[in-house]
Amino acid sequence: MSLLFKGRQQASNNKVGIIQRFFMFFADHIRQGLHSLGELYRTPFASLMTIGVLGFSLTLPSTLYIMVANTEKITEQWQQASEISLFLRGSVTESQAQQLLKRLRTWNEINAVSYVSSEQALDEFQRLSGLGEALDYLDENPLPAVVLVTPTSKHASPTAAGILLDKLKKEREVDIGKLDIEWLERLYGLLKIAKELVYILALLLFFAVVLIIGNTIRLNIYNKRDEILVMKLVGATDAFIQRPFLYTGFWFGLLGGVMAWVTVTLILIWIGWSLDEFMAQYQIKLDITGLNMQALLIMLAVSISLGLAGSFLSVRKHVNDIEPE
Amino acid sequence: MIKFEDVSKTYPGGQQALSKVNFHLEQGEMAFLTGHSGAGKSTLLKLISLMERPTVGKVLINGHDLSNIKRKQIAFIRRDIGMIFQSHQLLMDKSVFDNVALPLIIEGHTRKTIIKRVDAALEMVGLGNKSRNLPITLSGGEQQRVGIARAIVNRPPLLLADEPTGNLDPKLSMEIIRLFEDFNKAGVSVFIATHDLGLIARMKYRTLTLKSGRMITDGLEQNEGDWA
Repeated sequence: MSLLFKGRQQASNNKVGIIQRFFMFFADHIRQGLHSLGELYRTPFASLMTIGVLGFSLTLPSTLYIMVANTEKITEQWQQASEISLFLRGSVTESQAQQLLKRLRTWNEINAVSYVSSEQALDEFQRLSGLGEALDYLDENPLPAVVLVTPTSKHASPTAAGILLDKLKKEREVDIGKLDIEWLERLYGLLKIAKELVYILALLLFFAVVLIIGNTIRLNIYNKRDEILVMKLVGATDAFIQRPFLYTGFWFGLLGGVMAWVTVTLILIWIGWSLDEFMAQYQIKLDITGLNMQALLIMLAVSISLGLAGSFLSVRKHVNDIEPE
Repeated sequence: MIKFEDVSKTYPGGQQALSKVNFHLEQGEMAFLTGHSGAGKSTLLKLISLMERPTVGKVLINGHDLSNIKRKQIAFIRRDIGMIFQSHQLLMDKSVFDNVALPLIIEGHTRKTIIKRVDAALEMVGLGNKSRNLPITLSGGEQQRVGIARAIVNRPPLLLADEPTGNLDPKLSMEIIRLFEDFNKAGVSVFIATHDLGLIARMKYRTLTLKSGRMITDGLEQNEGDWA
């Protein structure tokens, strides 16, 4: 394309046609991309440091995220074993309570029931609360008798257990019914906060990575200052000059992402060993959901975006700044 | 080809590099631009290659007003101008071939075309056997000829040279000027800035003389001193 001399390219035998331009565009990209990779290879130490920064910065939030996700998975299992406590009315006698138990055992939603009389409850409270003999001075036992209902696994999910609870509350002996998953809800709350902290941490680290890559590319640009000046003098567009640096950012991202994935996998294997021992004591079988293909792709995508963002910010500023004088 | 209309250039800080310069270089013409150091030769060339913009006045190439050229288009303008520098501006870590090929790579030519044209350009400047060498292994005159090969490899209609013979002895300087004459005979407009008056005196070409930013002679009358 000539702006000043119409027909200049056409006049020569070797004009750059549309189709050739199209193919050369890709050929140029491949050539410049491989060239950038070669540059990284020629300065292995500096490249590894930058890739390491990217890799480790991604490893931390990824590992934490997997921890939180797995904790959520474990607690889901626990929630299945939820228990319903039925506090009986004070007026209910021992035999009435036994009859209630008998009736409940016939329900097919219920797996098991057990009974804690008000005396037993008081004894237990006396033992555990540490109030000891002080409780002897009470005129009457303030504690109600309790029936503990374990639902069958089919009815143990939070909603099904909730429906069962409503049904149980309609029994006339029952004063108050409680589903003991509140502590789980509290745990969920904590997990949600933990998750948000992971996100914040990830965001901060991502910013840091963008800045570090940007700075590395800035140094690369200034190392090639003379070359850039010459290229501008012979008519290279900014886009042409920027491309190798963008590819450098891309390679940093790709290699950093692969490194993060490997590191996270190693950490998970390591944690898996100690976790197996620990869980064996509680007869809980737990498989850590590691990094599958999808996670790898997400990590690579994030990592490449960060690398590109860093180099983009840098080339936008610094390649424009270098002008022949 | 190149036309200056009342061009003045004042650098930030008030230094007046050019004032009210008028001249017109015809298509296919070869001319020298001379004057003492600091007379404004480099500034004038920079206005043509768009490294600087005039403060007042118009610079036209082939009838196109350069003030209409946007920053993004500058790269394309430079592809139409072969530029040669006193300091060669070669990439010292790239071979002679790669240096000369650069403008063609930027324009997106195929490998076949690039090899053909680079070889032809190097042949023209007499460096056909040095294409694999690094510029650092060449003499000053040879390096300058690599620069010339790079300037002509994409066959621009206009050649600008800033002190192309600056560091060369008279014999080598003459060889370089003969090269420019060859290109000129092939229809390329050539504009050479130099303070080598001895060189110019031996040639019968139009000579533009700058003094403190003013055009004091324009033409072959230099020796008669009509305008001085």
